[in-house]
Amino acid sequence: MLNIVVCIKQVPMVTELPWDERTGTLRRDLASGMMNPACKHALEAALQIKEKFGANVAALTMGPPAAEEILREALAMGTNRGILISDKRLAGSDTYATSLILAAAIKKECPRCDLILCGAYTSDSETAQVGPQLAEELNLPAAAYAENMEINGRTLRVRRLVDNFRETLEMEFPALVTVSMEKYLPRYTTLAGLENAFVGGNISIYDADDLGISDKATERQCSRTHVRKVYLRKAQKENVVLTGTAAAVVNEFLNKYENKISAAIGKTIEEKKPGNE
Amino acid sequence: MQYNPCMKHQLIRNSVRHFAETELEPVAAQIDRNATYPLDIIEKMRPLNYFGLQVPKEFGGAELDSISAAIVVEEISRVCAAVGLCVTVHNGVAVYPFLKYATQEQKETYLPKLASGEVIGAFSLTEANAGSDAGSVETTAVKNGSKYILNGTKIFVTNGGVCDVALIFALTGSDQKHPQSSVFIVESNYPGFLRGELEDLCGMRANPVSSLFFEDCPVPEGNLLGKLGDGMKIGLTTLDNGRIGVAAQALGIAQGALEAAVKYAKERQQFKKPIASLQTIQNYIADMATEQTAARLLLYHACSLKDQGAPFSCEASMAKLYCSTVAAKITSLAVQIHGGYGYSKEYNVERYFRDAKVTEIYEGTSEIQRMVIARAVLSQLIL
Repeated sequence: MLNIVVCIKQVPMVTELPWDERTGTLRRDLASGMMNPACKHALEAALQIKEKFGANVAALTMGPPAAEEILREALAMGTNRGILISDKRLAGSDTYATSLILAAAIKKECPRCDLILCGAYTSDSETAQVGPQLAEELNLPAAAYAENMEINGRTLRVRRLVDNFRETLEMEFPALVTVSMEKYLPRYTTLAGLENAFVGGNISIYDADDLGISDKATERQCSRTHVRKVYLRKAQKENVVLTGTAAAVVNEFLNKYENKISAAIGKTIEEKKPGNE
Repeated sequence: MQYNPCMKHQLIRNSVRHFAETELEPVAAQIDRNATYPLDIIEKMRPLNYFGLQVPKEFGGAELDSISAAIVVEEISRVCAAVGLCVTVHNGVAVYPFLKYATQEQKETYLPKLASGEVIGAFSLTEANAGSDAGSVETTAVKNGSKYILNGTKIFVTNGGVCDVALIFALTGSDQKHPQSSVFIVESNYPGFLRGELEDLCGMRANPVSSLFFEDCPVPEGNLLGKLGDGMKIGLTTLDNGRIGVAAQALGIAQGALEAAVKYAKERQQFKKPIASLQTIQNYIADMATEQTAARLLLYHACSLKDQGAPFSCEASMAKLYCSTVAAKITSLAVQIHGGYGYSKEYNVERYFRDAKVTEIYEGTSEIQRMVIARAVLSQLIL
């Protein structure tokens, strides 16, 4: 039977998340949490593998105590156990620190896992870094932005979308895959599942001491990046009306916006311009 | 480890809301307009335990606590009250009497099918001459060998057009003073079980409300629910429970209307500013939100009494009375805040306004709730 760990993250419900225009920060206090959508797809992928091949699926998250909620949700969907790493000393970890902490938790709790699945990116920061960094830390083969997975014995075949083409990779277990939102549409949770997740659900909570990382894994020592400022980009849109003959309008348009168009399409349009004296 | 009940309730709310917004919201206005029962969506709800909210797990239910069950009904009704009605009637007054009064054999026969939603339930007390006066039922059940033969007509049966099993209240005799009624489990495939045309109603239009006719309909004697003559007792206990469901439904409709009103008030510009910046509109919204919260707390209070096994009849009536009154008021103000647009079918508040009204009428009118509450209060030695 396969052992799968799915790393999930609690993010603010996007539709509810207002900005504080004055301070330029997100008003996280006003938003309730939810499971990051791509993480939910990763979880669905794990559950489909479980249904097809048989697997032990553990959901792992790091966050404040309230992040227990997404572990309960994962249990309700069909996960076997939930692991929460919660410690104030770990608050504010960047993606690098997060991957170190998750790696420590996996080494301690699931040392023999065959497959680690992560969401390809989170809706709140969209760095897409934690999965690949975690694979580095654990020294595992990895594929990011996976659309589809096939398992044949100990071989995992992954189809992933890269820019404008798809590529198919094969790797041996143990491996790490980050799952995109193309496929693996998450199932609805059953009410009985939700009830069971709370009444009998298996959830373990650990702090940095439990993982043996309290000496090095605090934010200051471990995080390589620090957020200096978050701000809302102001869109600068204006309507421009060009008048004149068609040729004149096209010329004026190209003269005015040539650089922007070239940048957008990634090639120069100089020689295709009509007579431009 | 111990779990936090608030976290559970929040997760159930989010989960049902996600389902309702994904599946029901896109069709809610249309199925209301065309009065269509959304069978395809009901099919999707079945494996998710929406039809076995409080049925024990051994019979395939979710075995939810009463606040969780109320939240489920709230969240469905917030998006589509007619489907909320289907769920709350099925769970609250069709399944609940099985949990409370059925024999082990009846439970084993019916509960798994009811809990999975394979079988949809209905509860039929109301007749042309028996509404608030539940003692005036005229449908009869006469013993003939090992069967009871049913004759009579039930009206305004929620889920009537689609139910597979209905609990029918019928006269089975009388003592010196009072007619004696009993409750029968009647399957829709019994001979003599006939459905009337669907009612053309003001609100809740996607629910197939109809009359049911019984013409020499034979019911096995094993399908008597509870004891002979228990009709009034079962009816009243069931309605106490049903009132919690209708209160939850009213609350959900009010929630939908409140959210729509707040959104519109922030968007709608008059006098070169959003109408939400006008004090009159702010006063409306403050009152709506306050009464909505008070109603919710009253409902959850009734739910927690029920889960403790304490008497909850009076509190269920209070919750039903208050939630439905608040729903009628909030939906009316939501239309008012929308102005002319609120009176148009283009906006959901028009539907909420129609749907809310009936919560003041069915499962005991507001007048009957006041009667129940007053009786309970006046009979107490210490208030």
